[in-house]
Amino acid sequence: MTYHLQIVTPDGQYFDGQAERLLVPTINGQVGILARHINYVTALGMGPAKVVTEEGERHAACIGGMLAVTNGEVKVVATTFEWADQIDVERAKASLARAETMLADPKADDQTRTYALARQKRARVRLSVAEKK
Amino acid sequence: MAGVSMKDIKSRIKSMESTKQITKAMEMVAASKLRGAQDRAIASRPYFEVLYQTMHDIADANTELTSPFVQKPRGEKYCFVVIAGDRGLAGGYNNNVLKLAMAAMEGKDAMVLPIGKKATEYFRSHGVPILNTLYPVAEGINAGECYTMANSLCREYLDGTFDQVVLCYTNFVTVLTQTPSSLPLLPLSIVGSGKRPEGHQPLTIYEPDSVSVFNAIVPEYLGGVIYGALRESLCSEQAARRTAMDSATKNAEEMIEGLSLQYNRARQGAITQEITEIVAGAEH
Repeated sequence: MTYHLQIVTPDGQYFDGQAERLLVPTINGQVGILARHINYVTALGMGPAKVVTEEGERHAACIGGMLAVTNGEVKVVATTFEWADQIDVERAKASLARAETMLADPKADDQTRTYALARQKRARVRLSVAEKK
Repeated sequence: MAGVSMKDIKSRIKSMESTKQITKAMEMVAASKLRGAQDRAIASRPYFEVLYQTMHDIADANTELTSPFVQKPRGEKYCFVVIAGDRGLAGGYNNNVLKLAMAAMEGKDAMVLPIGKKATEYFRSHGVPILNTLYPVAEGINAGECYTMANSLCREYLDGTFDQVVLCYTNFVTVLTQTPSSLPLLPLSIVGSGKRPEGHQPLTIYEPDSVSVFNAIVPEYLGGVIYGALRESLCSEQAARRTAMDSATKNAEEMIEGLSLQYNRARQGAITQEITEIVAGAEH
């Protein structure tokens, strides 16, 4: 059984079609959505996402935003959503390296640390998803 | 020979030609940038529609939402986020949005978060208190920076640095029309329509609960709105510059035409005079 799934970000629409299953990271952990799900709204966290359609499954890196199920229509409104094959591995690696140098600096203040930790996490999510291509 | 000398006219034509070349080039650059900006502005629209709709749905489903972001304004301290361009020569683009912002904040206890070089310079020279100048260049601000901006605005809002946030930007209507507009951001003016179907309550699960979902989405939503407004503004800037440069090119062409006519008349006049002189000389 499939349902209508729409994935949008400020950079445009990433998916609009029928899906069998959706797996996304929320602020409370991974959540899977199947057809005929009850109306549901939650905020998205940072992590790998998976969309299963009749053609197969696709992996993606999903960062922030929200998930809404309304009357069988599923909408993922993400801050960033990148399919595994769209991820710029070099950039993610560079970003990870930069985050690590920032964290290694003993003089870094709290704000820089939080920022670097978030950056490190984003880069790790991207790299792990890119491997599943 | 009457009026200006031929040499003067010729040099004026020349300078006009080079002005025309510049405006023409600027017009073409703006036109090609406009195409990209327009595509990007259109690409982000579905995101806002869905986001806005969901915010409304949540507000509709919760008559007693107790989020600090949806309460009535607690005071009169304003923060204006003003998006203008980085460069001039864009017709009234910068001026219009800055005028609008100035008019909106008149007589109010207001500070400004300027985005773009023109906005930063304008408010600095007018002595308006500035929150920070982290965004001196409007072109090239990415989504991530907008979310950072939204997060820090939300934090300052919760800390009580200001009580209301208003966004001033330029709305891209068509290539020929751009309207400056202001949009209240915080506290959120999203109020449920109040038309809930009788007897049958829309059942929606919020995880962990509606207030935390709402509070997590608000900075996200603000970032999205700012990003969208930024894209609309950048698109408007290019469109305004293209139109302004197009009319500048047309004016230059008109002037060149007029000057050429004047030049030819002067030349004709000079020749006639010479002939008259020769004829007069031969008669004697």
